[in-house]
Amino acid sequence: MTQRISKSKRFYMMNPIIQFFKFIWLSIKIMLVVAGGHGGTRKVNN
Amino acid sequence: MSKIVILGAGISGHVAAAHLRRKLSKEHEVLVVSPNSNYQWIPSNIWVGIGRMKSEEILFPLPPLYKKKNIGYKQALVTTFHPEGDTESASPFVNIKYVNGEQKGNTEKVTYDYLINATGPKLAFDMTEGLNPGTNKAYSVCTYSHAEHAWHALDDLIQQMKQGKKAKILIGTGHAKSTCQGAAFEYILNVEQELRRHNVRDQAEVIWIANEYQLGDFGMDGVLLSYGDNIMKSSEMVEMVFEDRGIKWILGAGVNKIEDGIAHYETLDGEYKSETYDFAMLIPAFSGHGFKAFGKNNEDITEKLFKGFMLVDADYTAKPYEEWSVQDWPETYQNPSYKNIFAPGIAFAPPHAISKPRVRKNGTSISPAPPRTGMPSGITAKLVADNIIDTINGKKDLHHKGSLGNMGAACIASAGYGMTKGSGVSITTYPIVPDYNKYPDTQGRKLGKTFGEIGLAGHWLKLALHYAFIYKAKMKPFWWLIPE
Repeated sequence: MTQRISKSKRFYMMNPIIQFFKFIWLSIKIMLVVAGGHGGTRKVNN
Repeated sequence: MSKIVILGAGISGHVAAAHLRRKLSKEHEVLVVSPNSNYQWIPSNIWVGIGRMKSEEILFPLPPLYKKKNIGYKQALVTTFHPEGDTESASPFVNIKYVNGEQKGNTEKVTYDYLINATGPKLAFDMTEGLNPGTNKAYSVCTYSHAEHAWHALDDLIQQMKQGKKAKILIGTGHAKSTCQGAAFEYILNVEQELRRHNVRDQAEVIWIANEYQLGDFGMDGVLLSYGDNIMKSSEMVEMVFEDRGIKWILGAGVNKIEDGIAHYETLDGEYKSETYDFAMLIPAFSGHGFKAFGKNNEDITEKLFKGFMLVDADYTAKPYEEWSVQDWPETYQNPSYKNIFAPGIAFAPPHAISKPRVRKNGTSISPAPPRTGMPSGITAKLVADNIIDTINGKKDLHHKGSLGNMGAACIASAGYGMTKGSGVSITTYPIVPDYNKYPDTQGRKLGKTFGEIGLAGHWLKLALHYAFIYKAKMKPFWWLIPE
């Protein structure tokens, strides 16, 4: 096992308070990607 | 009045049925034909496979819901397609065979005005010799029953490890052309965390085996993504996670034979190797169902409908990797020969892979097939439903389009279960199929919309999505406000 994630980064990843705000941020960001629309490609690039 | 028949009640079929029923008046008939009477939220199978969820938490019976919502339902599987009707009638139809109840074994001719083929993939365990869930110590998490079975075996092994047994656990892909690396990726991280939770991690060697050329390929040729302030490749991100969790890996491996506790595989270098294990979870190849189609005079017209999976508005011209284009991918999922037949979700034949194909000297292709995930399945099913509604209402062109080359997807990969100890690797990708002309400097993807995050929030998000999508699938109040 090789430690590739530093202790401070691990604290950030697992701290419930920090992660609560990350959860809100992630939810909004993913919503923007997913609900940001979709469409064809042929008319856009041709 | 129109009759829309939907084959399959997975994510794609159920989404199409729900939207059609909500938007069409009662004079139009919506009928679902599916051999499985339960709806299952497949992304949570991995939690059933580690014993942290029960099957009942990820499924619910469809017949009562369909009855309440005025959606017809027949528990049957489709046997043949007749898009031109037959000598007796010009109405197109499918033949179905009932699989349960008093009518079990009976066949029926089901006519339609519009047909949505959402039959998904066949889990082709038979393409790998000896790979059959529950035999040779190899398991699957592709269905909830497979996942339950996997958990019982894993639990047995954990109990033996508590008595001092050393064990080797092998997780990944069970065929040179498998896809769905994401599910195996989630499962290996969840298993690794459960081993730590049971204090037996030191006694286990955990190994990832995959047909990917690089870690983090996921059948999408990998992604270049934003990670915090950095830009990194998905291969680097997965390598970081695997090394940190002490997971070893074998890449470019085409598993071709399973014996009791032994996986045989060939590599891109031309070598034949094997790996022993005490527990394995290997994703099989996916294939079409081998459906046959017949014309008006009962002549075989299968090639007009199927190329393994169903043919749609893609460019299926055979061409080398360098000439592949994002424009090859379908936009409306409409069959070119029969305009009233559609195949969203996993049922359509992709024009080609997304990952660069890699072939051994002996001709064996070892590279992932395109991934088929829930989000694009739902989006494509909804746009097919919307196009059918427009057509019924008199519009001539199909206005709703959704190419995988112009669609984002989120992969919230669980990396361990637990409200405080859990973790998730959240990756979004835009577009799913890389557009190298539009985004030439970022490997075909738009940075910012393609990003990764690791942490507890990812687990909460996956759990929130589990409850949100089951709420949506149960068609509870305002379910349609939840996007696909």
